[in-house]
Amino acid sequence: MIMETRYQRHIQLSEIGPNGQEKIKKAKILVIGAGGLGCPALQYLTAAGVGTLGIMDPDHISISNLQRQILFNENDLGKNKVLRAKKYLKTLNPDVKVLTFPFALTHENAEQYISVFDIIIDGTDNFYTRYLISDLCVLLNKVMIYGALYKFEGQVSVFNYNNGPSYRCLFPYPPQVGEIPNCSEVGILGVVPGIIGVYQATEAIKVILGLGEVLSGKLLCVNLLSHQNTLLDFEKNQKEIDQIKKQGKAIPIENQDCFIDFEVSLSQLSSEDKIKWIDVREEDELPSLSHLNPLSSSVSLDLLLDNKQKIIAFCKTGKRSRAYVKKMKNKGIGNCFSLKEGAAQLNEWVEKIVNYNDT
Amino acid sequence: MEMKLRYFGQLQEATGKKEEVLTDSFESLGNLRNFLLKQYPKLNHVHFKMAQNNKIDIDSSPLSGNLIDLLPPFSGG
Repeated sequence: MIMETRYQRHIQLSEIGPNGQEKIKKAKILVIGAGGLGCPALQYLTAAGVGTLGIMDPDHISISNLQRQILFNENDLGKNKVLRAKKYLKTLNPDVKVLTFPFALTHENAEQYISVFDIIIDGTDNFYTRYLISDLCVLLNKVMIYGALYKFEGQVSVFNYNNGPSYRCLFPYPPQVGEIPNCSEVGILGVVPGIIGVYQATEAIKVILGLGEVLSGKLLCVNLLSHQNTLLDFEKNQKEIDQIKKQGKAIPIENQDCFIDFEVSLSQLSSEDKIKWIDVREEDELPSLSHLNPLSSSVSLDLLLDNKQKIIAFCKTGKRSRAYVKKMKNKGIGNCFSLKEGAAQLNEWVEKIVNYNDT
Repeated sequence: MEMKLRYFGQLQEATGKKEEVLTDSFESLGNLRNFLLKQYPKLNHVHFKMAQNNKIDIDSSPLSGNLIDLLPPFSGG
């Protein structure tokens, strides 16, 4: 009875009815990435009464997320995204079973987690994970709902639906490192992931119900500035699909440009952390931050290898420090991170800590 | 024949244009691609797909459409 009242507006639709609502209840959806796309998709899927929702994301909430990741608020800063998301979703609809996976999807764990769900929503911000999801969805015959963004534009499509095309049929060549900037490097109007994420939730529900025209073999390109919405047809490329199936496992792409674990945000740090800073800026850049006694980027590898503290590199925007950390990781310096924020924010953060310790 | 080209995502920055009209004729989509790569060298740094008359097509296809869309993959989540 309660169920009927909660979902009354669904059930009233002849296209859904009580049977359709029951289908929604039986569905199992995994949302990979609880960010700009994942947050709105999760909210609507929870409200819709999807029976089982999995959420996977290794990240913690930082202040710069709040401009578009609308599940979270200021009290969540530094907290685990997946666990906070579950908390809010359970208040929205306690009937939904929420499974939390607070870590990254990897080539080792992908099959284990993707195999237990029917539909995978791709809310990732990097090509490495996106191709991994795509390959696993091909191998395990799962529907993948794709969403991606650039500034004021978005793309949506549904892959592997009723034997339809996959992501590799659309984009067979993974971009080279640095070719396509990711979300942390490029500005994005906060509502764009909102709209695209809700599109993804819509397609998921249509797939569950077998309703309307699913975006299979079609790429929807949305431009929020010009209101130019373009629907493009594309075909299945059997060669791409056979290649994955023949391999029997996902084919890793070279581009690990934006692959996680490289970056750390100020909100994840506490005043007690023992940190060795590396300033990768030019000598004359401001603010100086010399009171942190940072090492310069020309510091010897041996010194870094011997260092027992957490090493964090910073620059003006987080871009140069990321390139530096990537280079260091390749040279075997494991305990090395790039600060997501820039020197100015670091300066403010340090001042706050000093004030706090003084009082 | 006149055709309209529309640039998506960062292709707008690589070309400095949102769209343009070309009157040149090209045998295939690949020929058009080569022309554009010369015209806008920055396009060489981005893989992009081409669609004609709202259908994504391969470079060897004859160019018959009068609406050509050029689109890169997007990242961002």
